[in-house]
Amino acid sequence: MVGRVRAGLGDTGLSCAAIEARVERFAAMGTRIELHLFGGGDPDALSRARHAIEAVDDALTIHRPSPATAINHCLASGRSAPIDDPILLDALAGVAAAWPMTEGLFDPTVGVVGETGGWPLVTIDRRAGRIAASRPLAFDFGGFGKGYALDRAGDVLRAGGATSAFLCAGESSIAVLGAHPLGGKWPLTVPHPLAPEETLVALELEDEALSISSTVGAGAHAPWRAPMVRPIVGAIVTAATTTVAVERSGAAAEAMSTALLVADAAAAGRLGRAAPGRRHRFLFAGGMSESRISAGSIR
Amino acid sequence: MTKDFTFSRRTFLDRVLTASAGAGMAAAAPWTAVAQAEPIGSDSVRLGVIGTGDRGRALIQNILKTRNCTVAAICDPYAPHLDKARALVPAGTATFTDHRAMIDARGIDAVVVATPLDLHARHSLDALDAGLHVWCEKAMARTIKDCGAMITHARSRGKVLQIGHQRLFNPTYLNALKRAKAGEIGEITQIRASWHRNRNWRRPVPPGSNLDRELNWRLYRARSAGLMTELATHQLQVANWFMDGLPTRVMGSGSIAFWKDGREVYDHVALIYDYSDGRKTIYSSLLNNARYGCEEQIQGSKGTIEPELGRIYMETAPGSVPALARMRKDVQAGRKGAIPIGGATWFPELPVTTPGDSLGWGEYDETMLQFEGFGEAVRSGRELPGLLRQAYYASIASLLGEQAMDTQQAIAWPSGLVQV
Repeated sequence: MVGRVRAGLGDTGLSCAAIEARVERFAAMGTRIELHLFGGGDPDALSRARHAIEAVDDALTIHRPSPATAINHCLASGRSAPIDDPILLDALAGVAAAWPMTEGLFDPTVGVVGETGGWPLVTIDRRAGRIAASRPLAFDFGGFGKGYALDRAGDVLRAGGATSAFLCAGESSIAVLGAHPLGGKWPLTVPHPLAPEETLVALELEDEALSISSTVGAGAHAPWRAPMVRPIVGAIVTAATTTVAVERSGAAAEAMSTALLVADAAAAGRLGRAAPGRRHRFLFAGGMSESRISAGSIR
Repeated sequence: MTKDFTFSRRTFLDRVLTASAGAGMAAAAPWTAVAQAEPIGSDSVRLGVIGTGDRGRALIQNILKTRNCTVAAICDPYAPHLDKARALVPAGTATFTDHRAMIDARGIDAVVVATPLDLHARHSLDALDAGLHVWCEKAMARTIKDCGAMITHARSRGKVLQIGHQRLFNPTYLNALKRAKAGEIGEITQIRASWHRNRNWRRPVPPGSNLDRELNWRLYRARSAGLMTELATHQLQVANWFMDGLPTRVMGSGSIAFWKDGREVYDHVALIYDYSDGRKTIYSSLLNNARYGCEEQIQGSKGTIEPELGRIYMETAPGSVPALARMRKDVQAGRKGAIPIGGATWFPELPVTTPGDSLGWGEYDETMLQFEGFGEAVRSGRELPGLLRQAYYASIASLLGEQAMDTQQAIAWPSGLVQV
């Protein structure tokens, strides 16, 4: 859908200018994706961005045969595996960067419970294109895949000359390119998951990504939702918690919001203090059935 | 499905004509062109109906609506059924309690077989041997061998054999097939079909009688394959039709899970029919839950057709996120408002709940058209093209499914079938 819209003087006081607006909506990665592009740039860039997201879906999904399931098949039986898919290899590099940033709390491996989780047991030979693990395990990229996909889409849009765009994957994974079309940062608010009319936190983003993880809120307890699992102890996170992370990339934001969710209080505090105002964890007291409850942030 | 016997016949035929006029339809439904033709000659084809139970009497009502067939004789050994049928036909219509007597009495051009499944072959073969044409209810016969024998018998005697599969004449199904052939729902890779009922499937038996196996023949293995031959065969015909091919193998599981009342046939069946290129038909039928009723969900890459509901659903992109739609409006209006995000949309893919679009038609009765087509086939001595092939393979598929469930083995499509 393409439309040329005119931004008036209105509330912003900006000069009147025609702002070209395009949007691409589609289903991928088990959710709905919206890519909103404002301003000029290559008119075909949006469709290329969509293809970039679909390519990530094809590479990382574990819900149908994919490069990810191919390596899982080998790793789960204790064998090394070739990585022929460049997207999968690049995503694994993203995991490697996110793991130390989150103090090892973001770990997309499953099947290993122990002091370190599964990721440290993985060795990747990028030149040879092989992956191995010292114990049987498998990968479930989960929300990380959505953030990573938005990063890839953002790269495509930037290469096409985009300067202002809002990318959204299921409302819990957001990436913005450049400034708001009317200038300045993108203003966002995250609603309270149990009282959506209330705002949990207000944020402003520019060339950044936002990820929200939660154990409460609409759909959080539907039967098809996979629970959040603490990587080291293997326990399911049951506390009523919502986390919000703003990072430079979608992949990093996803990793951080997950880490904040599974972190103990001390670790959450350390992670929060490392990026004041950009990392939030809200613990809801009184059980999930209460609609209006107090929230506390680590900030 | 509501039967509307007063529905305008011409309108009905026009709809069949419209539905069967698409690209590829001449090959997919060649019988419709013949069935729609104006009847030749003025003499009605005289039919003798063997079996006047519920189904037989429904067939009689349809025959009486045709322009080219008449009920010349009725036959049933069970007096209550015969009496009910006698009330439907003109006074003086010949009645018999034995099918041989009806055949030997002459005075008919063809028989209509609506008897228990295990008798289909015998009644059909006897009629063919006597030089009569045969219209037989589905499924064809109790065994694969008998299904083949009915065809070879009809062929060798130059007689018409037609099997009752009314969906082949149903305008909604024909229109659905036309739209599928036109590519509207993309490549069809799966059909999910079900026939779910919540009833014991038993007919009342007069107290003190020993007629249980006569009246409740569907519940006993010697007489019927139960849900497979009485219900599934309709839907397996639809599956083969829309898949434009035959299964390569079938796997299944059957059980008597609810009605543990002495019946011998399964009250729960679940099967997978494999087709070429990885395509599948997934079938289930049961007798203690009617929530999902009777339907074939024909699933393509671009959409889904549900012919019993008469609906077509297109695969569509998900709706827009309200907050982002508002963001776009704000930008248009020159407003820079906060974008609430991360709200109540933490969900993955959900079942489509959109109403879809109508396939076009609601009420009709296609069984009548079957008989008009049969009448023309009898008059010309040439069967309606393509029909017997559809019926034969549907019956084979249903009986093969029974074998797969009984043996708990995947059963390959047989190689030695009669060529139709």
